[in-house]
Amino acid sequence: MAPALTVRGLRVAYGSIVAVDGIDLEVREGEIYGLLGPNGAGKTSALSAIEGLLRPAAGDIVIGNVDARVHPLQAKAQLGVQLQKTSFHSNLTLIEIVRLYAGLYGVTLTSAQIQELLGQINLQSEASKRFRELSGGQQQRFSLLIATIHDPALVLLDEPTAGLDPQARRQLWERIERFRKEGRSILLTTHSMEEAQAVCDRVAIMDHGKILTVGTPAALIAAHRDDPQVREAAHGEVTLEDVFIALTGRELRD
Amino acid sequence: MVLLRADATAQVRNPMSLVLAFALPLILLVATGLGKNSAALGGPEFRISLGLTVGLVSIGTVGYSLSIARDRDTGVFQRLRVTPAPIWTIMVSRWIVQLGAVLVMAIVVLAVAGIFLNITLAPQDYLFTVLVALLGSAVFLSIGQAIVGLIASADTLNAAGRVIYVPLIGLSLFGNTDRLGTAVEMVSRWSPGGCLETLLSAAMGATSWSGQEWEALLASLGYTVVFAVIGIRWFRWVSR
Repeated sequence: MAPALTVRGLRVAYGSIVAVDGIDLEVREGEIYGLLGPNGAGKTSALSAIEGLLRPAAGDIVIGNVDARVHPLQAKAQLGVQLQKTSFHSNLTLIEIVRLYAGLYGVTLTSAQIQELLGQINLQSEASKRFRELSGGQQQRFSLLIATIHDPALVLLDEPTAGLDPQARRQLWERIERFRKEGRSILLTTHSMEEAQAVCDRVAIMDHGKILTVGTPAALIAAHRDDPQVREAAHGEVTLEDVFIALTGRELRD
Repeated sequence: MVLLRADATAQVRNPMSLVLAFALPLILLVATGLGKNSAALGGPEFRISLGLTVGLVSIGTVGYSLSIARDRDTGVFQRLRVTPAPIWTIMVSRWIVQLGAVLVMAIVVLAVAGIFLNITLAPQDYLFTVLVALLGSAVFLSIGQAIVGLIASADTLNAAGRVIYVPLIGLSLFGNTDRLGTAVEMVSRWSPGGCLETLLSAAMGATSWSGQEWEALLASLGYTVVFAVIGIRWFRWVSR
């Protein structure tokens, strides 16, 4: 069975600045794959190239069986995307936005079906509101609904829990878990090592445009447990965050 | 089609765009008939053409560029770009909505002029006037596209838009008079608004179609091409 996503030798450059430097990654069916890295590591650039928002300087991107560089629209039709910064037409209601995005993916929904979908994310009573009138947690739930409105096999989530309170974050992870149970594959970026360790099947740690290591959180911890830098970073039991700090350094990133 | 419907709905629900598209042209249509010296600016057709020009500048140059810049700043375009909709449809949908707004504005201005101000045209001249208004919308939409291509953020564009708006309207106002000197008249006549007024005057039957009208048509097409090329060449889907 073909992986949900295969990336080979992906390179993204902004002029002379290389943001992604020849990375390879593979997301398997039904897998939650975490792309971790400090600010400026190249995570969002890599994701943007996969989403078709950036033209890569080199590399192959295959989504399911579709070569995204040859058939970008077909590839986009198979992807569900939640961007780091998302907004929708400011004067449309939630119902109208759902209808718009369903239509863009060729999905026809009745008003009752839209209400039901909004009900599933506890936004039925907000159906006539504008997106900007929602709270942060509601906006994230709604964005995730739009990202999966066409039932995609692969969902890309760029820092989906950023800025959410613990309740909203917990709810969101439950939804992401549900996607996995439904057989979808998920590629996400996050700064929360705790969440990545708890939820992701595999993680890749990225820095300076390169993938430094890939594996299950447990395997990465086991592999690096005895590194002196990991020992130095750890306070008690070694965690994924300790491995991350040891591999990417302690200095602050902008 | 679904995107076009959404863009049209968003436009209709935007109170600022309604004020820019309808209130300002109608206010000018009425206001230019007040006062004893108003006739010096031009005849009744001039009042209509000025109202239409103001509407076109408001819709195309200010309203359009501002809405594009805001949606770019907030990430609306990025969200649309990750869908399977072809990229060109995102912008073409916006242009069609603006053309629709121009069409409605032109009909309203002509209707108000006819019903309330007794400024009427020959039947075929109504058609020509609306067609010239649509041509004018291409000129001012391309200027709006150039502005949104060259200016990175909505806040900057909002400020710059006001600075650009006043001379565009001012130049349109003095195209038919040499009260500020022949140099101003000449600049005014060959400005985008001035060219449009020349064409509108001919469309409304106030002047006959002659060499000057052809020159104004060519100049308008030239403005459209130049500004569209600038706008498309430097346009970015994300704010820098």
